Amino acid sequence: DPIEGLARTCNNCHGTGGVSVGYSMPSIAGLSETYLKNILMEWKSGARASANMTRLIKGYTDEEIAALAGYYSKLPWTAQVQPAAKELLAKGKDVTERCETCHGATGGQPDDKETPRLNGQWAKYLELEMLKYRDEGFQMTHKKMMKNTRKMEEGDVATAAKYYGAQSK
Amino acid sequence: AGPGAKRASGGAKARVVVIGGGYGGATAAKYVKLLDGDIEVTLIEPNAVYTSCPLSNEVISGHRDIKTLQVGYDGLKKRGVHVLQDMVIGVDRTKKVVTTKGGKKLEYDALVMSPGVEFHYDNIAGYSEAVINDIPHAWKAGEQTLILQKQLMAMPDGGKFVIVVPKGPFRCPPGPYERASLAASYLKHHGKTKSKIIILDANDSHSKKGLFQQAWKAMYGFEKEGMGTNGMIEWVKASEGGTVNKLDVASKTVHSDFVDLKADVLNIIPAHKAGKIAVDTGLAKESGWCKVVPMTMASAEDENIYTIGDSCVAGEMALYGNPNANFDMPKSAHIAMTQAKVAAAAIVAKVNGLPTPQPYYANTCYSIVGDDYGFSVAHQYRVENGTFKYIKEGSGVSPMAMPDKSPVPAIYRKLEAEYADGWVRNVMADAFG
Ligand SMILES: Cc1cc2nc3c(=O)[nH]c(=O)nc-3n(C[C@H](O)[C@H](O)[C@H](O)COP(=O)(O)OP(=O)(O)OC[C@H]3O[C@@H](n4cnc5c(N)ncnc54)[C@H](O)[C@@H]3O)c2cc1C
Ligand code: HEC
Ligand code: HEC
Repeated sequence: DPIEGLARTCNNCHGTGGVSVGYSMPSIAGLSETYLKNILMEWKSGARASANMTRLIKGYTDEEIAALAGYYSKLPWTAQVQPAAKELLAKGKDVTERCETCHGATGGQPDDKETPRLNGQWAKYLELEMLKYRDEGFQMTHKKMMKNTRKMEEGDVATAAKYYGAQSK
Repeated sequence: AGPGAKRASGGAKARVVVIGGGYGGATAAKYVKLLDGDIEVTLIEPNAVYTSCPLSNEVISGHRDIKTLQVGYDGLKKRGVHVLQDMVIGVDRTKKVVTTKGGKKLEYDALVMSPGVEFHYDNIAGYSEAVINDIPHAWKAGEQTLILQKQLMAMPDGGKFVIVVPKGPFRCPPGPYERASLAASYLKHHGKTKSKIIILDANDSHSKKGLFQQAWKAMYGFEKEGMGTNGMIEWVKASEGGTVNKLDVASKTVHSDFVDLKADVLNIIPAHKAGKIAVDTGLAKESGWCKVVPMTMASAEDENIYTIGDSCVAGEMALYGNPNANFDMPKSAHIAMTQAKVAAAAIVAKVNGLPTPQPYYANTCYSIVGDDYGFSVAHQYRVENGTFKYIKEGSGVSPMAMPDKSPVPAIYRKLEAEYADGWVRNVMADAFG
């Protein structure tokens, strides 16, 4: 499969087969095709900021991006379950109540194809993503995510991230 | 099946031997096995444990435990790679046989050559391998890294930490400047603010220079280029006396045409060229580096040997400061791994009589320069009409300023410092796991 050769350059950062073992790097295998294509094309057009991905992705054609999105979406989602203390999980459940309609109770049942899975994604990465949505100087695109994360108490951001990181499904 | 299939014996479709278990060699061994489990793969490496150079500068400054950078070969063994703890001393290219120090002879259908670099101490009079326990290079990670760490930590306030940089190309182009930054971070946090870090550079420019100097100004009081300036870090370029040509070991004094400098801690990075075994095998004809065929990473001298990683020069020689140049690939772990994946795919296709797959090369180097402060450079290359093509659109360094000229928000630098840790864990696992 010719797309595999292309995808191998992504796997340096995202892990063999798109499954990350680095806490600050997201796993990308098993995310939905719509979400993958959407985020990659927003980076390419410049609509969305990223410290890294905006620079890299401009080297790929639209067709390659579509093919990469198709390729990674067909791989299975591998949740890296990161155990957390009972109290943290309870608190996490609490602070992610307003997130449930879109992400499902444990982050693994997104309500549509534009919403990424959060269960077993690396907590460190999720925390950094929320910092991006919360930061006025960082150009994100999804208004509702920006609004929802900005409503959170600062101290709850890491809690929510660890809550989702601890979920298997 | 290709020609390899005919020669193989003992049931294997073909035999691949890999010289060197660093980022390049380990990745090549793993990916040949992943792509075709019927190929027999033997990796030869003298050390039982590999220490990653990437992020080893954080060990020197006390920001990271060296154990997080160490990995053995069990992951590759589990994937069915034979790992031979030995050293290759000769390659017979006609008979296609590799000889080891331990007295083994191994036949190959394809050979992957990834021995890294060999240091050359002779550009500096008085310098030699015999002094490196006292004057460490820390340019191959492990014991050397820890020696430099101890020396930095023992240096009294007001001391001079001198880094001598050789003429390029050298592995990890931003490495010496990252090291200077992290050493400054250490000294700043430990109240040794009267100390100096002086970089004597045999080049007139360097990788990510603008970003480094911007960060040095923000954190370490960097004033301007040249010697005798205020601020903790001083950078002396070649044309102003940065090229060191003489060393007095006993007093740790280095000399150039314009400068005599006595160091408290002296870190000389020796000049380097392709690994010795690549040179001895006749693969490094031009300028001491191995030339390659862009489609496959095969040696320009021998179609059965794939020369990857730091030993090769892929593309034209580096031209610093010209962003439009079709310059050669930097010597990095990231690039060594994408080269290894290209070589593995080309070998597997050849063994199975399939057409050569399209190759893709990419590099990213993160540099950490202080607390929550990192940045990176990315490069991409493709092959068109049999030659390397630098993909400018998909390459470049982290921004110095936002498009409207406003300063880059701190979150960008923080994110990149965090991503560097995720990156190193993933490259180590992608190569050795
Ligand atoms: C301080 C520092 C920081 C760095 N930071 C980064 C970074 O942030 N990002 C990045 O991408 N790169 C970085 N690099 C560069 C990176 O370490 C190298 O580019 C990378 O290791 C190259 O891989 P390689 O396989 O070519 O060589 P190596 O990793 O050096 O491996 C070569 C291996 O071959 C073995 N060998 C040699 N001769 C023989 C023989 N005759 N027989 C058998 N085995 C042999 C050696 O023992 C060694 O294990 C850094 C380097 C340094 C020094
Ligand atoms: C040098 C490292 C690096 C490389 C190479 C790389 N990425 Fe990324 N990627 C990152 C980082 C860091 C992030 C975190 C988010 C950000 O940058 O804003 C990311 C985020 C992503 C995300 C978002 C994941 C999520 O859950 O929202 C996708 C999708 C992605 N990358 C796809 C790719 C593809 C496809 C390639 C190859 C064409 C690739 N990446 C190559 C570093 C890299
Ligand atoms: C209205 C629907 C909706 C609500 C409510 C919502 N999200 Fe999201 N979430 C999304 C969508 C859609 C995305 C992808 C957005 C994008 O492309 O930037 C997303 C992305 C994320 C991400 C980034 C994941 C990644 O892989 O990059 C995190 C983390 C996250 N949400 C957490 C939360 C938390 C915590 C809350 C509640 C405080 C919340 N979300 C509320 C729809 C929602």
